[in-house]
Amino acid sequence: MNVPLVTEQGVDLSPMSLFDKYTLDGFYDEMFEQPNVPRSCYKSLHATLAALGPDDFEQRAQMAENYMVNQGITFTVYGAEEGLEKTMPVDLVPRIITYDEWEGIEKGLIQRIRALNLFLEDIYHDQNILKDGIVPRDLVVNGKHFRREFLGAKVPKDLYVHICGTDLVRDDKGDYYILEDNLRSPSGVSYVLQNRLLMTRIFPQLFRENRVLAVDHYCSQLLSNLRYLSPRQIDDPVVVLLTPGEFNSAYFEHAFIAQQMGIDLVQGSDLYTENNIVWMKTTRGPQRVDVIYRRIDDDFLDPLTFRPDSSLGVPGLLNVYRSGNVALANAVGTGIADDKVIYAYVPAIIKYYLDEDALLPNVPTFLSAEPAQRDHILKNLDKLVVKSANEAGGYGMLMGPQSTKAQQDEFAEKIKADPRNFIAQPLVQISRAPAFVPSARGFEGRHIDLRPYILVGEEISIIPGGLTRVALQKGSYVVNSSQGGGSKDTWVLARNSNTNGQTNGSIDVEDLRMQSNKQVKQRPIEGDKSQQE
Amino acid sequence: MLSREADSMFWIGRYIERVEATARIVDVQYHSELEGAFPTAHDNSVTGALWGPILAISGDADRFAKEFGSDQSERNVLHFFTCDLANPNAIAACISRARENGRGVREMLSSEMYECLNIFYLDVTKWTVDKILASSPHSYFNGVKNACHLFRGITDRTMPTDEARRFLECGMYLERAEKTARILDVKYHILLERGNDDGFPLDQHQWTAVLKSVGAFEAFRKAHRFGITPAKVVSYLVLNPDFPSSICYAIRRAERALRSIGGSTNGVPVNRAERLISRLMSDLTFLTTEDILEEGLHPFLETVQSRCNEIGNAISEAYLRY
Repeated sequence: MNVPLVTEQGVDLSPMSLFDKYTLDGFYDEMFEQPNVPRSCYKSLHATLAALGPDDFEQRAQMAENYMVNQGITFTVYGAEEGLEKTMPVDLVPRIITYDEWEGIEKGLIQRIRALNLFLEDIYHDQNILKDGIVPRDLVVNGKHFRREFLGAKVPKDLYVHICGTDLVRDDKGDYYILEDNLRSPSGVSYVLQNRLLMTRIFPQLFRENRVLAVDHYCSQLLSNLRYLSPRQIDDPVVVLLTPGEFNSAYFEHAFIAQQMGIDLVQGSDLYTENNIVWMKTTRGPQRVDVIYRRIDDDFLDPLTFRPDSSLGVPGLLNVYRSGNVALANAVGTGIADDKVIYAYVPAIIKYYLDEDALLPNVPTFLSAEPAQRDHILKNLDKLVVKSANEAGGYGMLMGPQSTKAQQDEFAEKIKADPRNFIAQPLVQISRAPAFVPSARGFEGRHIDLRPYILVGEEISIIPGGLTRVALQKGSYVVNSSQGGGSKDTWVLARNSNTNGQTNGSIDVEDLRMQSNKQVKQRPIEGDKSQQE
Repeated sequence: MLSREADSMFWIGRYIERVEATARIVDVQYHSELEGAFPTAHDNSVTGALWGPILAISGDADRFAKEFGSDQSERNVLHFFTCDLANPNAIAACISRARENGRGVREMLSSEMYECLNIFYLDVTKWTVDKILASSPHSYFNGVKNACHLFRGITDRTMPTDEARRFLECGMYLERAEKTARILDVKYHILLERGNDDGFPLDQHQWTAVLKSVGAFEAFRKAHRFGITPAKVVSYLVLNPDFPSSICYAIRRAERALRSIGGSTNGVPVNRAERLISRLMSDLTFLTTEDILEEGLHPFLETVQSRCNEIGNAISEAYLRY
């Protein structure tokens, strides 16, 4: 039995509690429903953390940092001091999602990715949705990431997006909204896996007090999905991960995922094409490659098709791809569907292909391509968040309420010059969660988002939770790691976790596995084992 | 496996071995100076005689001269071999490249191996020559040696004996054979030149230093209780089949690794690299110390080095180049 940390009267707050100066400031707080009153799913976690002193917590944070540094879980900062390697900060206060909440998110994401895959298949073939005028043709065909070279090209299993990372936020009422889809090569999943590993090492007792669904089957699921794409129907297709190389900021992730899947981590120079086949240069001579999980953008994949100055890719690769002799994940041309302008049409896209209403709403979005909406945007630059259609990583953004007049004027000019390329959204008062602030020697509320990772193969599967990113700078809404963001371990609690967090009796391992491996076609039905205590 | 990755494994093996060799040689030289027959004045004519041989062993005399001129002060030499990133053979530079190679093949290494390499790098890059001098050079070199041992130990325990590991071993043992050959060559040369003028004790001291710089002193003593003679040292470091830093031992291990990569089951070499290394192995097996001394140790050791080089090239031709 664990030492009980919760007393009859409530939490015993020692004078040095990390929560002493914690305030909610009117935001939706993930942990607290009212000041000092944790939500039921957080009660156990809150009690454990409240019993720790700042020194203890800081020491554990240092352990986490050392682990990341020693394992080389770092990214290289360019422009700064030469070869400066930084870790992406991990905040050790986990974020909790209840099982029911997660089920809703999962359903919404599965619906969304199904529709987006149908949309991509359509716009690269029959273009019915354009003919029917649901999405304006010029927005699609003039989109920066629309690949007209691939019109009519058959892709394996007619799937375009195999790996998707969709960003969600919660507003001030706690409702979830889709902020954006990442359909090209979303990164960050290695942090999901590493954060969990870290947390189980640094706070093992928390996992005895809370029943957290496992995430570590991600890589095996991904590998089996990739094998499913192989053009050759053979027992053991050759799957590789194509990386831009060790100087890429996501290189650790590429190496980690390849290692976990047991596949070769290749660079462009390790591959060549001959006789319409992709070959890998091995010590035993050339070896045929069937599936490439590429972590290189379309533009750099093949200098013969796209950017001729790129040396990261493989000359001739896209011809082989078009002939169906190699599979790419994700397919070429998926970027058009995560264009921030197309984003505004996703609810209509869902309706069009699935005849369903979107389960997870978009953030209301104004398109500057539409004259009336453009006027509204230009008049309200001080209140809106303006985003350029194809930038990522928190770049190319205007945070209206926090901007200067000069910045607003600059964006006004940009919008007028290129209306197709901008959208605007009201500033969502996104939710906050406690994060450890060393200078304050305690927890303070910081804004967070959520990026679940969706894998599409024969079935659609999502590992429970995903990556919670946290804007560690006070007051900041931007969670991107390039802008001072960190991450948190994200827990989806098993359905029958009771609210004070103490588990009832033994954990049914099979039950947990059922829940965390759940896929669309394996959804537990009423009376299923997973619902029994 | 990917050719690029095989190449990286080979070089990781080489660099780790090179680092260990450098640490041993400089450590021994530094400390033999302290109790040696040389006066320890900071007089360049004397220190030149002291550090010159080490620069010759690493083949870096010219590079050193370019950087520091003739100022072979203790500080300059230590800096040159430890923290000087302008010297590609410095300990910090080698580790940095071993880790770079390791990053490129991260998915081939066990996490524990990479972590070891990474911590090694992070530690080594924290040092400066002034810190080394201020604390204790010996503890610095010892730390470096131990990190090399740790890396090899972790490899032994966590990496399958597959092709990747064989390439690592090839690099490691070829480098070791070459380094032993060089140490012996340079030192023997100097000792012979000097004749016996300085008297026996100094020679004894010098030969002891040679044995110590490849970590062979104690083992040698057990094998030869009647004292150190040049012929015995040569015999031990060139032809002894059992001691890990002898050329014979290292080449045998490299040969075994290479043959295992080639996979021939009937003993017939499958490529030029195998033919070359087995021929060298055969010489090391059947030659006697007398044969070698008669031919001349220096020409013999020079040939060994160039044959090792050629083997390296042949490996690259057979497996690594496209």
